[in-house]
Amino acid sequence: MAKILIVDDSATIRKMVRASLRPLEDAEFVEAGNGLEAIEQIALGPVALIILDLNMPDMHGVDVLKFVRRHHGCRDVPVIVLTTRGDEASRETAMTAGATQYLTKPFVPHVLLSSARDLLPAVARRDA
Amino acid sequence: MSQEGAPLDEISFSDFLDDYYAECDEHLMGARRLLLALETSIGRGPVNRSVLDELFRHFHSLKGISGMVELRAAEQLAHHLEDYLRVLRAGEAEPTRDGLDALFAGTQTLEQVIAARRAQMPLPPIDAIGSRIAQLIAMDAAPGVAQPPLADAASRAPLGARRWHISFSPSQELMARGIRVDTIRQRLAGAGEILSAAPRVTADGAIAFDFVFTGRVDAATIAAWQGDGVQIEPAEGTGGIAPGAVSDPLPLDTDSPVSPAILAPSHVVRVDLTRLDDLMRNVGDLVISRARLGETLGRVERRLAPAEWRSIQENVLALDLQVRTLREGIMRVRLVPVGEIFRRMPFVVRDLAGETGKRVRLELKGQATEVDKFLIERMMDPVLHLVRNAVSHGIETADERIAAGKRPEGTIVLSAVSAGDVVRIEIADDGRGVDATAVVARARAGGLPVPAGSPDAATLLSLICAPGFSTRELSDRASGRGVGLSVVKSAVDELSGAMYLESEPGVGTTFILDLPVTLAITDALIARAGGDTFAVPQGSVREVIEVATAAMLQVERNEMIAYRGGALPIVRLSQLFQTGEAARDRLHVFVVGTGSGALGIAVDRIIGQREIVVRTITDPLVRVAGIAGATDLGDGHVVLILDPAVLARQMRDRPSRTYTAGGLGR
Repeated sequence: MAKILIVDDSATIRKMVRASLRPLEDAEFVEAGNGLEAIEQIALGPVALIILDLNMPDMHGVDVLKFVRRHHGCRDVPVIVLTTRGDEASRETAMTAGATQYLTKPFVPHVLLSSARDLLPAVARRDA
Repeated sequence: MSQEGAPLDEISFSDFLDDYYAECDEHLMGARRLLLALETSIGRGPVNRSVLDELFRHFHSLKGISGMVELRAAEQLAHHLEDYLRVLRAGEAEPTRDGLDALFAGTQTLEQVIAARRAQMPLPPIDAIGSRIAQLIAMDAAPGVAQPPLADAASRAPLGARRWHISFSPSQELMARGIRVDTIRQRLAGAGEILSAAPRVTADGAIAFDFVFTGRVDAATIAAWQGDGVQIEPAEGTGGIAPGAVSDPLPLDTDSPVSPAILAPSHVVRVDLTRLDDLMRNVGDLVISRARLGETLGRVERRLAPAEWRSIQENVLALDLQVRTLREGIMRVRLVPVGEIFRRMPFVVRDLAGETGKRVRLELKGQATEVDKFLIERMMDPVLHLVRNAVSHGIETADERIAAGKRPEGTIVLSAVSAGDVVRIEIADDGRGVDATAVVARARAGGLPVPAGSPDAATLLSLICAPGFSTRELSDRASGRGVGLSVVKSAVDELSGAMYLESEPGVGTTFILDLPVTLAITDALIARAGGDTFAVPQGSVREVIEVATAAMLQVERNEMIAYRGGALPIVRLSQLFQTGEAARDRLHVFVVGTGSGALGIAVDRIIGQREIVVRTITDPLVRVAGIAGATDLGDGHVVLILDPAVLARQMRDRPSRTYTAGGLGR
């Protein structure tokens, strides 16, 4: 089972992301509504892929990203930043902080799905 | 292999519209609350940075989710609002009155766009408000504007509250117990203010969370938290204002300083209301079964040995107590603070005051007063209507007020207080008062029957609540829509409530709504009149007196008794419902209502006091004014429940003695 962590302060968006990624086999979804919860999920178990929003209360997505990249346990986890269309600078900041991919909302389900497929480690993509 | 050709077309985000609307409501509500907080802070020194941040996030989220459901107008508008806040946040401009007005207007339009989409109506235009905001941004972003001093969280630390370092290490074991970093965050937010929160990698490679927090924490709380993987120690130095500043997370009192916008989430479970209704119905059945048991036991008592009977009695008493505790417990679960409806009002008043060019201050009192969820939903419209009415009809314009020697700014006080089973909502304004002469003239013109002489408050109220009555020639969209206060009156009646008016010309008007805190099950006095049994809700009975029939005076076609230095009109139930009457020397009288609305309801005798389950009568063919519903006392007989407030009004308005109860279906 590949654990996919969906981080977004909007419950509606989390639901939409989940629905978009449902075709993935052997995927288990965990959700976090803010940055702190995201880090907690990361701390509690290996995560195969993170879908990360940027603008969240308490802890900004970029700070989550920086933390993930510094922490040896999850340094190599692919992170898809999925954020509401913002300025160019935020893409730059996110990529510099270590985002694997940068997608904007509103997102297209199959684009997110194929990105997730490409980024999930080979082992997680294999049939069980 | 994973499925490459998954049926992606099937994913449609329109399936998520309900989630979308629900989330929009939360963001719009949050945004309004923050805008009001911001408004009070204008010109009062540093702008609270966290308010701007949070406001920004609300608009940002609205933009994001609106884009997902392809509601482009909302997405665009939220984008404009977000842009302007970005400018404010960056310190490129100070929030001005104009800017704030634009934010309010933008939020209102945004809400209208979302509501229109929900109702599948044409969307309102957004171009005007969009360009207004764009203009503000262009102006404010111009160089040379002084940077506003932004207050950071630390400098707002409450005085007397202590600053703490808190560290939390998550674990599978804690998570299994439901204790997560968010649990801790919510606890802290509920007990004070979080100044910072950050994760940290510990020496052994694990992850911990560090919080800096100010608030009052007692030893017992510390001990409880320590059991949940929390380490807590006082930080250097103490800071700030009274801890009360954080006890009410809603800065509703417009005079209070801006409090940090903490959305202190509590430990709350959301339950579908229908489940609670089911539960309540089950308890209702239980109450009836208990009454049936009482009936049965009464029949077998003689056949039992006294010792056996005593033990049965003890068990029955215990059962009574338990049923009552259960019932009260379920009722408590259904209670919600009245603040839920109050908190929309500042926004309503602000909008309407702006439209009418009046200056109005709204004071809210007693928001923690709790009422049944069922009621709160039905109270919303009447209260909203009366508040709007106070702004558009009650409060005068600033010029008129100055001419009358009043402060230019009018005040509306919206308060709630509970007394026993009744919650009293008052909407008081310090405006011009009800113009009795104008009301009477208008009522006569409209063909309404008007009693001779100068009308008292109760008469005035019944006139202005008459269907079709409106003192304003033009029915303004704010409070009238041409239907006037009659809708308020009928809503209150439907809830078995009562409505009163107090008004003094030039001083102000107060509308009072007395509503039952809860419906469904209530304590009642059971009485016999003629051959029939009636139930009278105990909460509405002020006093029970015994009267000699000889002491009853005949005044025209009405009966009266001397009561507390005045006269109390009496209605005999047996005559009212034509149930036949046995000649009696003495009658029992329930005194209900107050002032000119007081009434004595005479019955032959009182049987006792019972817990009754109210089954409302909804069939219009069977419904009779003055009857609130029916109940089953457990012996299989259906007993009618009186609605004393309606009876009192009926007696006052139409002093005819007989009352047609045809079609009661009994």
